[in-house]
Amino acid sequence: MLLKSVEYVRPDSVAQAIEILESNEGAALLAGGQSLVNILKHRVASVDVLVDIASLEELRFIETHPDGSIEIGACVTYDELDHSEVVRSNHEMIAWVASHIEDQQIRNRGTIGGNCCLSDPTNNLPPLLVSMDATMNIQSSKGMRQVRAEEFFKGYLMTAVQPGEILKSITVPRVPSDVGIGYVSLSVGEDSKAIVRSSAWVQLNDVIQDARVVLARVAPVPVRYQPMEEALRGSSATPEDIARAASLIGSDFEPVADSHGSSEYRREMAQVVAKRAVLEAVDKVRGEGGSK
Amino acid sequence: MITQSATQAIEVTINGTTYRRVVESRQLLVHFIRDTLGLTGTHIGCDTGSCGACSIIMNGKLVKSCMLLAPQADGAVIETVEGLGNDGELSTLQESFRDHHGLQCGYCTPGMLMAATYLLRNNPSPTEEEIRRGIKGNICRCTGYVNIVRSIKAAADSTQAELGDSVAKEVSK
Repeated sequence: MLLKSVEYVRPDSVAQAIEILESNEGAALLAGGQSLVNILKHRVASVDVLVDIASLEELRFIETHPDGSIEIGACVTYDELDHSEVVRSNHEMIAWVASHIEDQQIRNRGTIGGNCCLSDPTNNLPPLLVSMDATMNIQSSKGMRQVRAEEFFKGYLMTAVQPGEILKSITVPRVPSDVGIGYVSLSVGEDSKAIVRSSAWVQLNDVIQDARVVLARVAPVPVRYQPMEEALRGSSATPEDIARAASLIGSDFEPVADSHGSSEYRREMAQVVAKRAVLEAVDKVRGEGGSK
Repeated sequence: MITQSATQAIEVTINGTTYRRVVESRQLLVHFIRDTLGLTGTHIGCDTGSCGACSIIMNGKLVKSCMLLAPQADGAVIETVEGLGNDGELSTLQESFRDHHGLQCGYCTPGMLMAATYLLRNNPSPTEEEIRRGIKGNICRCTGYVNIVRSIKAAADSTQAELGDSVAKEVSK
């Protein structure tokens, strides 16, 4: 057996799952399992009880709110995001990013909640959700609380979710018609793990009204790069303006080096992907890039 | 609720046969299929979810059976490579793999067949790019995959042709 002995339980409700978490210190939530099962095989985490929440209907919904935002249950799979008419109608980038995660098998099991709660810096959805200013809805026996995506990711494999809590859903604001979102990764192979990545949300009229530029893999969690955002605001979004803003990314990051890239290389490539993400976002608003 | 325990009594239907077994909660689904049930058509390549040799279709979805625990499959309906043919007759896709030499070292073949079966169910006439995306989870250590892609394309074309024929027959009636 690859895994050490572990108990398995499949609760009937989120409330029941929370009770199990509260009464078992070594319990962990199991959703799609596309990361956790490997972690257990390698025995790098010690889990006594696996609480299988993958099939809970309470966590498997996508709905539109009157303000145009959408709320996505934590156990919605990447494949379901990709094929959801609700997601595709106004939040197409979520469907696009979900459809480019690894491979079909993983997309059929992996969930948006798992992608966020693992807080692996290579994961695809966290930088996008930070750039879209999503809100994470966390449930415990005390009730619900909301955390902005920007505040949710705390560190490598660490999030704002505390013992006894479950990420129930994610709310993503409406994307206004004058907003474009660009998402660019430098990866080892197509749809594979990113070496560095950027997601840019840009509101543009004659000039850039507002921008959120998120960098991933330059730090343990996705970070908004405010000097670049400030440089973009009020600019007329020419390629030169955007390149100048991206060139501000520099020594404030000390990315982790690995066999795919040194720290220095990642910093340089962060400028490239951030520039391209903003260009893509701008093109979408100006109608040159088609969908957003 | 399925009660908390290190062993679980599970019921799984594979290729139309229902199996009831008591398993250790930590057992991987692929080990359950191969070692407990003896259905060794499903292969184990890497054990880490990378190679896709263990791909099966569970409740209509293509998944890697080394990335699931056996208790997660409780109540599921599963298709494995053994279920593709019918009474010794190969499926159209299997025939096409044979006709076009759609194999390389051959180890990935069961997973490739399951991935391609899933792809064609959801997209009966895929482009070459769609085929290559469809088998991305099954890329192992060979390169090229030219004959595998060709086999899948030919299976799609011949199925479409058969459908065309039956439509033509309906119309001519």
